[in-house]
Amino acid sequence: MNSRQSHRSLPFRSAAALCVLLVAACAGNGEGLDANGRPLVPGGSPTLPLSADFESIQENIFTPICSVCHVGGGAPEGLRLDAADSYSLLVGVPSTEVPSLLRVKPADPDNSYIIQKLEGHAAVGMQMPFGCPNTQPCLTTSTIAFIRQWITNGAPPAAPAAAAVNGALSVTSIVPDSMESVQGPPPQMMVAFNHELDVSQLATHSMHFEKLAAGATSTVVEQVAARIEVSSANLRALMIWPARPLTAGRYRLVIDAASSSRFSDIAGQTVALGTPDERGQAVISTFDVEVNP
Amino acid sequence: MNQRFIKNRHLLLTALMLTIAALLRAAPAAAEPYLAVLEGYKCNVCHVNPTGGGLRNQFGLTYAKVLLPAETLDNALDSWDGKLTDRLRVGGDLRADWTRVTAPNTASQQAFSLEQFRVYADLTLIPDRLGIYVDEQIAPNGSQNEEAYVRYGNPTDGFYVKGGQFYLPFGWRLQDQTAFVRQVSGINMTTPDKGVELGYEHAAWSAQFDVTNGAANATTGSGYQVTTQVGYTKPIWRVGIAGSSTQSSAGDRRMGGLFAGVKTGPIAWLAEGDIVHDDSIGRSLVAGLLEGDWRLLKGHNLKLTAEYSDPDRAVRNNQETRYSVVYEYTPLPFLQLRAGYRHYFGIPQNNQQHQQAILAELHGYF
Repeated sequence: MNSRQSHRSLPFRSAAALCVLLVAACAGNGEGLDANGRPLVPGGSPTLPLSADFESIQENIFTPICSVCHVGGGAPEGLRLDAADSYSLLVGVPSTEVPSLLRVKPADPDNSYIIQKLEGHAAVGMQMPFGCPNTQPCLTTSTIAFIRQWITNGAPPAAPAAAAVNGALSVTSIVPDSMESVQGPPPQMMVAFNHELDVSQLATHSMHFEKLAAGATSTVVEQVAARIEVSSANLRALMIWPARPLTAGRYRLVIDAASSSRFSDIAGQTVALGTPDERGQAVISTFDVEVNP
Repeated sequence: MNQRFIKNRHLLLTALMLTIAALLRAAPAAAEPYLAVLEGYKCNVCHVNPTGGGLRNQFGLTYAKVLLPAETLDNALDSWDGKLTDRLRVGGDLRADWTRVTAPNTASQQAFSLEQFRVYADLTLIPDRLGIYVDEQIAPNGSQNEEAYVRYGNPTDGFYVKGGQFYLPFGWRLQDQTAFVRQVSGINMTTPDKGVELGYEHAAWSAQFDVTNGAANATTGSGYQVTTQVGYTKPIWRVGIAGSSTQSSAGDRRMGGLFAGVKTGPIAWLAEGDIVHDDSIGRSLVAGLLEGDWRLLKGHNLKLTAEYSDPDRAVRNNQETRYSVVYEYTPLPFLQLRAGYRHYFGIPQNNQQHQQAILAELHGYF
């Protein structure tokens, strides 16, 4: 074979090499997995048919379609749509693209940003699921109708969370939690509960942030007032805003000594927030702010 | 020899000289990285953004007018040159599609759509030192800023700094943002981030170091993302390595990637492998890409792509693959037609992992 023939055959040899690699890469056979590619749990419930409740929407839409991208530390817009996080990051939470709109506004699907994104008429950004209709199907009108109906019904949580509602009032998450480091001043802190809070009791509570001396565990060098609020869209989340941006340093969120540390739900159950410090103040969280604003 | 032939020869010679000049200075990028591999260019040869994509520079536009299309127009060099003034350069991309997507047990969908209309602008405040760059998506769904940053330094040779909102450098900057490697890494041309980038461009080397908020921290106001990439480009091959670490209250996320390109005759080969570990979901993910672009004739490209994704390395039998064949025809400057077929393979119990798509696209650019 002369050099010219060799040069001509090069693309064909390369194409053959690609074909070999194409055949070598095989999709999984799905054995032992559910429809979302997760291992089957012995005795686990079969896939729910799509209906207008959160558990079904999570299992049929958010988990298999949305959480391909919206998961973990790389989730676009910080919106994680895996089963563990989606509800608390959707319902009553302002969207990052259009902050004046809630991602899910209970009882108001037209003004819920998720519906605008799925139907393709949001003011900002692309229609979801990402790439539709070019590289994957858009959700059909009938599929979106289930999400609309769930929102119209008030966007109730999934059954397991509903079961938790029947248990004792408890804290489900704190952001930022103790010993976390945050880069830049957090706009607010959040304490989530498993029950809806009795907002009429909010006026009896007050909190503040304490900045601690470098290397110290209890020496307070500065206090920052805080405002507490519960969004009417999500009565399970207590939001705490500092009166001014927190500068770099170690902080703790503390319930004022004159204030009650017990929070009530609408059924009258109570739970105490925070851990008493050496002065008897209830400390909800101690965290580090790493840089100045 | 007629006048038209002489003029075409003049155009080709001009383009050839531009090519040689660019190669010699190995400096001044490409949303279609196969072109960069075929020509042996770094991203900043054709793009204002040193990490590629977006606004084309003077050479990139000349390449698009003269060397890329099947037909070289007599007055190609006199056509649109991107300059509104000596200091202000603008450009854009408009992609309109028709697609038909089918999946088992699911009604087929077909639709015309406007995939994107983006406009770019670069304002040079001090030549080779200070500039402002903007990439704005105009449609669909209203305006959305993708990139907006101030750039200090020389992005063609030496150090530069970018501050503002920009795309992160990680692997091949593919035109298809849904490629597995771009989805798994979460870094693509729809996910810009805010922060600063320190870059270095010299001869065959390109390097970037970025500190940004990180996508997961968009609502929490906590954590940050550090991304770095180093690339080495030779005329017929290149190799690069990228890494990224996100600290987030949701859980930390670390990624590593290797990417490479080689030219064999008229074919440009692109490969990328990425591995991601995400503490927030307790999973390690892997994605791979192999692409071959065969320039059959001037203005004609056949693109074959094979992709692999393992969404959880600890779970067996859950891998997905995707194969595409796309024909790209560029008949004239500023106009490209694309048509293709794509097939997904995944676990049998998930219909969405067995989609097939037929697509046709009209791409206008300037």
